[in-house]
Amino acid sequence: MSLLLFDATLCLLLLVLALASILSRQLVHGVILYIAFGLMMALAWARLATPDLALAEAAIGAGLTGALCFSALARQQLHLPVVLSWPQRLWPAVFVLLMLGGVLAALLQLPPTASPLVDVAQAELINSGVSHPVTAVLLNFRSWDTLLELVVLLLALLGALQVAPAAKATTSWPLSLSWSRLLAPMVILLAGYLLWAGASQPGGAFQAGALLAAGAVVLRLNHQLNWLRWSNFWIRLLIVSGVSAFVLAALLAMLLTTDNTDVIWLRWPPQLAGGFILLVELFATLAIALTLTLLVVGEPAAAEQAQQNSGGEAHD
Amino acid sequence: MMVLLLVLPLVGALLMLLWPKIAPLLTLLTATICSLAALQLLLQVSEQGSQQILLAGWPSGLAISLEANSLSCLLILLTTVLQLLVALYAFATYRRDKLGTGFWPLSSLLQLGLTSLWLSRDLFNLYVCLELLGLVAVALVSLSGDKAIKPALNYLLLSLFGSLCYLLGVAMLYGAYGVLDISALALQWQTNILSTAALLLMTLGLMLKAALWPLHGWLPAAHGAAPAPVSALLSALVVKGPLFILCLLWLQLASAPQAVAIAPLFTGCGLAALLLGGVSALRTPFAKNMVAYSTVAQLGYAMLALGLLLRFNQPLFAAALWLFVLAHALAKAACFLAIGEITATLGGKRLNTLKGASQTMPLAMFAFAVAGGSLIGLPPSGGFLAKWALLQGLWLQGDQLLWLLAIVLATLLSAAYVFRVVVLAFDRADPVAPDFAPRILPQWLALLPALAVWAMALYSEPLLRLLKQEGL
Amino acid sequence: MTDLSPQLLLYIGTAAGLFAIGLYGFIVGPQTLRRILALNIIGAGIFMLMVVLAYRGLADGAADPVLQALILTGLVVAVSATAFALALLARLKQARPGQYRPEQEPGP
Repeated sequence: MSLLLFDATLCLLLLVLALASILSRQLVHGVILYIAFGLMMALAWARLATPDLALAEAAIGAGLTGALCFSALARQQLHLPVVLSWPQRLWPAVFVLLMLGGVLAALLQLPPTASPLVDVAQAELINSGVSHPVTAVLLNFRSWDTLLELVVLLLALLGALQVAPAAKATTSWPLSLSWSRLLAPMVILLAGYLLWAGASQPGGAFQAGALLAAGAVVLRLNHQLNWLRWSNFWIRLLIVSGVSAFVLAALLAMLLTTDNTDVIWLRWPPQLAGGFILLVELFATLAIALTLTLLVVGEPAAAEQAQQNSGGEAHD
Repeated sequence: MMVLLLVLPLVGALLMLLWPKIAPLLTLLTATICSLAALQLLLQVSEQGSQQILLAGWPSGLAISLEANSLSCLLILLTTVLQLLVALYAFATYRRDKLGTGFWPLSSLLQLGLTSLWLSRDLFNLYVCLELLGLVAVALVSLSGDKAIKPALNYLLLSLFGSLCYLLGVAMLYGAYGVLDISALALQWQTNILSTAALLLMTLGLMLKAALWPLHGWLPAAHGAAPAPVSALLSALVVKGPLFILCLLWLQLASAPQAVAIAPLFTGCGLAALLLGGVSALRTPFAKNMVAYSTVAQLGYAMLALGLLLRFNQPLFAAALWLFVLAHALAKAACFLAIGEITATLGGKRLNTLKGASQTMPLAMFAFAVAGGSLIGLPPSGGFLAKWALLQGLWLQGDQLLWLLAIVLATLLSAAYVFRVVVLAFDRADPVAPDFAPRILPQWLALLPALAVWAMALYSEPLLRLLKQEGL
Repeated sequence: MTDLSPQLLLYIGTAAGLFAIGLYGFIVGPQTLRRILALNIIGAGIFMLMVVLAYRGLADGAADPVLQALILTGLVVAVSATAFALALLARLKQARPGQYRPEQEPGP
């Protein structure tokens, strides 16, 4: 009973936070409430026995999306709150309520039993090369989805770079600079652990990548790592390597397939599957980290680069 | 062969990102190889029947399944050939039109997204393909710079909303049946509130993404603002992706009562699109927007054919549906390239820039007129074939006078907007002077798909047979 | 009428509610950034529905791994799209800095 009470509180909190984030007068408040909402969501998912997703939601839904929204807010002028008239609010509300009624009526018919695919996935888990079922689905059973997902991420970066406005140079704060330098090795260590753990426990490429990106963003905001930009060939190579390592691994796997079985796209050879998956994940993590960093902070402003190049030597 | 068609554009795009200098040549190379591979695949499939792959070799259900039937192969061939043609056009004009270097990898990724969409038979994989397609399309539109940012953002937001509606439907279906594979889902399908609601949500999302009336508002601005080769790709191919999924859902999944119940919606929206889209095309003062509105109108034919197919279950309508898609893709590519070339050379976006274009740029104008003939449905073009199949189907059902009347009206409207341009172009009294000497090669490239759509008539027999069998 | 336990019903109801709140925010706006947030809330609602579906019928320990993988993929796709949308928004603001005051579009 007390558990149900906890659930009810959590759900209510989620709904209130979401509503407040939509209805708040100031955009800044909306973004802050959205981040709080993301964290609550992560809590709810941890409660629902999906720790992988809770990790990812905390990193992405709350952390990354929040950071992105804040950097977007910083780029625009302050808004005067816009007041909408009643008809402008009423008709959408009626439409939304109708839709909600329909969706709820349909959802009530959902059966309480799990999908038959769960058993199939469990039965095939021993052949997949990893012991964590989510990783097995992501990088073996449905690896084509994951490959395309990495392409989508790459594409978002391409689009964002293409339309990116020129960045404004800002100054950094000495304390945050030394703090960020202290933080960096720890972040790398933690990310490595998350990646390794992904094979058997919650964790994996995306969570590790998001963590690495968080470290890199902090450093970049403090004007470190200025070589970290798209125009640098090696960075480009690393970013592209997430997808290309995947494709190359798949092609290699096709070559390694013995003659008595059919050659099938994306099938890892059974004995080597674990190695292949770790390889793909390693490159995916690096690529995800770099892509997310560039997505959040964009290319460094040209003036800032020049200033760093001349000023960096004097400081050391 | 299927794998080659998927991997080659992807690898090409990655190489282009690393070495932007060789991107144009690489695009031409991959598009050529893919076109040949697509032709080979089509021949294979039409001889030996459709091919299926369970990716990564896992049992059906767990694995993502790909299927190449003759319709998918035909669409892949269309995609690769148009890709090649547009790449050639872009290659011939990119210095003059200051097309960003981003165009080349993006167009390769567009090909990847479309090919995987035509092949995929897995609901969630289709979602990922849809998102890929939507993001590529928006990135391509935003190549135009400042003036395209607002339409691109609007397009992106609506497209994301559409994908989310689709995703909610997928989640509901997975919750109810526990499978994602379309053929497996079809076997267990039950008619109840849950499945109906899921289908309706997915339909809403897909109609938004395919710019089907009344959810077409974003299309004219986005397609009008994009660079000419991009508009050609978007109008010819990208909007057909969600349409394909829509047909997949309603033809393979929905039960007969559900299909019959939804049919009036599709036919009604189709008719409205034909009439209102045509009127809008007639009224807009901008050249590219006119062509974009004509896309809205022409998609109405496809929707009408889908509605009639669901209502009467007559294979002729399936043939009509896909013939419209093919003919429209070729004709619209020709229109956008021709209009793009003319407006670039004569320097202006408004329709009256085209004044006297038949004198200054006869080839491009000829391409537009020929493609326009297919949009109207003049015999013996591809557009005529499609319309003929539609009329024949209606004739067999008997007593459908109202439909005939509506189709005649729509035909007159499309004739009106095509002739509006042609009349302007033949007004030779005071032609608009070109900014620079018109170039021949891009005009020929615009003419090629226009000729191809008329050549469709030569292959009418095999096309009709093939599409009647496998209109999904 | 339904076979779902009260706890599942609670979470499913919340997921549908989040979808509705996001939908309202997306239609009403009025600022573009708010509409992007609303899209993310819609997404969160849908992913939450999927999490609940993965959790239901939990007999032998682990939640449905297939759905969990789908959600992870969906999350990445959603954040990619959000990042691109925000980049476009930033460019839009920069393209016309002077004349830009509160963002007011005439109705939905």
